[in-house]
Amino acid sequence: MRKFLTATAVIVIAVLSSVAVTVGGALGPLFNGVRSLAEFYLLNVFNAHNRTLTAMSPEAVTSIVWDYRGLDTLFETVVFYMAIIGCVALHRGIELTKRGSEVGLSRIVKTVTKILIPLNIVVAASIALHGHLTPGGGFQAGAAMAVAPIIIIVVFSRFFLMKRGVTKEVALSLRSMGLLGIALVALIPLVAWVTTGSVAYVMQNQVKTNSSFSFPAYIGGSLVSGSLIWYNIFEFLAVTFGFTIVFLLLSVDEETVRKVLGGDKHE
Amino acid sequence: MVRRLVKAVTPGIVAFLTYVVFSGSIRPYDVVTGIIVSVIAGIITAELLVMSPTKALNPIRLFWLIVYGLYYLIIAESRAHFDVAKRIINPKMPIKPGIVRVPFSVKTDYAITSIANSITNTPGTVVVDLNTEKQVYYVHWIDVKAPDPRTTFEHISKMFERFIKKVFE
Repeated sequence: MRKFLTATAVIVIAVLSSVAVTVGGALGPLFNGVRSLAEFYLLNVFNAHNRTLTAMSPEAVTSIVWDYRGLDTLFETVVFYMAIIGCVALHRGIELTKRGSEVGLSRIVKTVTKILIPLNIVVAASIALHGHLTPGGGFQAGAAMAVAPIIIIVVFSRFFLMKRGVTKEVALSLRSMGLLGIALVALIPLVAWVTTGSVAYVMQNQVKTNSSFSFPAYIGGSLVSGSLIWYNIFEFLAVTFGFTIVFLLLSVDEETVRKVLGGDKHE
Repeated sequence: MVRRLVKAVTPGIVAFLTYVVFSGSIRPYDVVTGIIVSVIAGIITAELLVMSPTKALNPIRLFWLIVYGLYYLIIAESRAHFDVAKRIINPKMPIKPGIVRVPFSVKTDYAITSIANSITNTPGTVVVDLNTEKQVYYVHWIDVKAPDPRTTFEHISKMFERFIKKVFE
């Protein structure tokens, strides 16, 4: 009886709220058309005639993320970096042994997984390298790439990955190289400022009204959207190996972690 | 190192085709980045994926793979689908399910996996486990005709193994 009453109440509320939204207009009048802000971006993200406002990329989201609000994304990346540093710091002193029994799943699962790894690499790379042209970008590509280490850890074992060179130290250095790349791309305009004397801004992509500095929008006739492709590539590297570090650390068994983190017993 | 590069050819080609198909375009930009990425992916996975590079690049094996693909998708699949569909439609539902041992005589990982996946992908039979030392699959069969290895091999995997041996062994 109680169940029946609950179910009826849920159904009544669901029906009433959907009626209120669809017929009653509870959310206010619908806005038809394009807002002025959206209009600005649609007009300017890829506009060769207005070089001071364009990002030279047909992908509006990537343009906003890495150009119009680029500093915001830079700090977001730093937050992700801090989270991983926190994870590494929590696991300090825990040795990730390279040797151990590699049992894993059956031969069938292992063989199929092996075949998927090169395909995983190229699909992720494609998401990163087309980030300035189609939906996707560095972070999404890194998340897609991180699937490879996690399935290897599950299907084979952590030792399989580490014996082949993907250790915590290697992942940390590659991740740091990615972050360093992002920082360098952001600072290249300043190098131009010092060498040529013309004003330039941190994270600048295309020319501005008082600055003649510009990343090349085309390389060899192919659209690369200035700094956007470089940010995507380095972010891809940083996110891939950031996740790899976390997966490696999480695959350490609880007992080993407790031995180090547990400390002395306090009565 | 040279041997590794030769081994990387097959995974590299597959990786490049996947890259182009996934990207959905083949302008100079996609070809150049695709080649760079595929070479890297091929070299990383070469030792893992390829045991003998000559085998992987042998056109006769590729020919048998295509023949097997056609046989499997057109004949084996249709036969299995009809058989299971008949059992479903029949009001008496004539099924006799059970798990049987199916022997195999191939050695390489690819051959073992291909036969197992061929069995699983046809309706009516599913590989639930395998034992590589005893060289048997444990297969759930919708209509166990007899549990002895000869009957199960004859009915379930004989044709698959005949083709797979030509491709992978």
